[in-house]
Amino acid sequence: MSVHFRLITLSAVIFTCFNLLAQLQVEVKDGAVAEYNMAVSPLAVLDGADAAKASEISSAVEKVLDITGYFKILDKKSFLEKPETAFKAVNFKAWLDVGANGLIKGTIKGKDEVELELAFFDVAKGKTLIQKKYSSKAALAKKSAYRFAAEVIKLLTGEEMNFMFSKIAFVEKTGEKYSLVVTNFDGSGRKELYSTSKTILLPEWSADGSKIFFTSHEKNNPNLYSYDMKSSQIKTVSAYEGLNVSASAYPDNKTIALCLSKDGNSEIYSLDTTTGELKRLTVNAEIDAAPSVSPNGKEIVFVSGRSGNPQIYKMSLEDLNKVERLTEQGNYNQDPEYSPDGTKVAFSGRDEKYQFDLFIIDLSSRQISRITQNQGKNESPTFSPDSKVIGFSSNRSGKSRLFLSNISGTRQIAVYSGQGEVLMPSWSPAETN
Amino acid sequence: MKQFFNFCAVAVFIFTVLCSCAGNPPKDERELAEKAFADAEIGKDCDREDYLAAEELLRQAREEINNKNYDKAKELFNAVKEKSDAIAKYYREHPDECMKKDNGNANGEDDGTIKEENVDSTDAADPSVDPKNPDMDFQVVHFEYNQYTVLEEDLPKIDLMAQWMMNFPERVVRIEGHADERGSNDYNLSLGEKRALEVKNKLIQAGIDGERIKIVSYGEELPVDPASNEEAWFKNRRAEFKREN
Repeated sequence: MSVHFRLITLSAVIFTCFNLLAQLQVEVKDGAVAEYNMAVSPLAVLDGADAAKASEISSAVEKVLDITGYFKILDKKSFLEKPETAFKAVNFKAWLDVGANGLIKGTIKGKDEVELELAFFDVAKGKTLIQKKYSSKAALAKKSAYRFAAEVIKLLTGEEMNFMFSKIAFVEKTGEKYSLVVTNFDGSGRKELYSTSKTILLPEWSADGSKIFFTSHEKNNPNLYSYDMKSSQIKTVSAYEGLNVSASAYPDNKTIALCLSKDGNSEIYSLDTTTGELKRLTVNAEIDAAPSVSPNGKEIVFVSGRSGNPQIYKMSLEDLNKVERLTEQGNYNQDPEYSPDGTKVAFSGRDEKYQFDLFIIDLSSRQISRITQNQGKNESPTFSPDSKVIGFSSNRSGKSRLFLSNISGTRQIAVYSGQGEVLMPSWSPAETN
Repeated sequence: MKQFFNFCAVAVFIFTVLCSCAGNPPKDERELAEKAFADAEIGKDCDREDYLAAEELLRQAREEINNKNYDKAKELFNAVKEKSDAIAKYYREHPDECMKKDNGNANGEDDGTIKEENVDSTDAADPSVDPKNPDMDFQVVHFEYNQYTVLEEDLPKIDLMAQWMMNFPERVVRIEGHADERGSNDYNLSLGEKRALEVKNKLIQAGIDGERIKIVSYGEELPVDPASNEEAWFKNRRAEFKREN
């Protein structure tokens, strides 16, 4: 039994992965849809452990693997072997019969203090590849499971992923009410930070994840505020007459790029939030908006109407005359977002069918790949901190919801099912708690 | 009458068979009457019956011109001028009384009588679009997709707002710019801002002090019609005038 991965292009990462997978044979077929079938057995519930916790943990592992797009998660109903079977007594034939390439099994013990033991097996070879024991308070058990899933992904693909340890902020609009909401990456653990009948717009995390910037018409002008995750305090960051929107953090954790219209037109500025020092970055009679700062703080990408319709541009912050247009196709490209690894820019563009879809520009090859197609309006792309997953809002199933997609767009799932419409998601930096 | 008729018949004018004309159209009388009537507008709510009567006479006079009854037309134009002058005179002598009557007297029942030469083509007698009415309806202007140039047919609405602001110099207005749902929220905020600013600039060009005009963009956040179709999008791409004080 060979292990198949769907890979769009051969990259150095994949060759690394050949080496890492000495025991697994990776067959790369250009463009072929072939997935790694993963069986995630329900956990064996021992010593008064909570059954609900157990199933929460196994679904968490499934969800993490699923969203990478590298795995096909097998249906538990087809499984022949009981969860209680010991790691040493696994009947690999029974897992081969359900089509599994890999198997994840585990046990959970204890209610408040939880001991979680997880193992990953190569089914064809009948071999244990990873086995780990985690002890923690019950609340952290899910995080332990995420660590395990990240190890499985690393082993099979060579890719370091940490999206599972991060959060997503977004605006939830329920009727006339706007709420600033934060959830875990998978839409769980909803926390409402602030709500108002005035607007809440364009939330964006500070570089260290300690604050969320957002715009509100609370004072009848779109002013920029910050919400402090620790103290829950809201402070005014920028309140010039006109627009104070689209904050994007510099890596120095004090400067932001933002869009102001105080000089009579939408222009991009940098603002030192500690001193209030403002520097104008764009000078153009047309709209310049929606800046996204590169992870090294040396460039921004932004939208400009300077060519007659909105297109994505890149500008050097060291030489403001160095401006380069990144999008040539289509006449309505917006919402650019720099990937945290600095190699890509995601944006939303209107396609030939007048639908808004998501695209990614590879900054070195300038190739543009498409993430969504024929699935309603897809907007506000935001990268996970490892640049492996894209969060966005889509109204493909009626109201606007939070979706996650892997980078190639082959796997897309809705992850939050709150009452309202999910708008303008923003992914946190890694590890915010 | 007969010899006039004969004279007309032999002339090389294109007006031929049914013409019962008498001499030339009363050009001077018409000009004087129309000017006087336009001047009388200011007092129309003060002396409404006379104003409507003058309006009717003017209409008849124009009709008589069309029928080539120039003598009759001349007579009517003179009557229009006389009535209109009286209305204007009364207004000049009793401005306070006339201002007070502005609200109570006005009604919208006299549609479809005479189209004035005002560019705004709105019915001046309708208080909802009367720039002398302090409670005049505030206007909404529309835009094409991704554009911030006001649609041509909505320009008179800005003129109307400018007139209103001239009439009520202590008032400050707010222009709210909006976009339709298509496109990103941040770009649409900029687009709404551009639209509001465009309208503000038009008011400034019309002589209004920029200090009296606030602008705010709501982007795509406050649609008037939440549907996702051309009709709704058209309605939502707009700039709305609001009272600031």
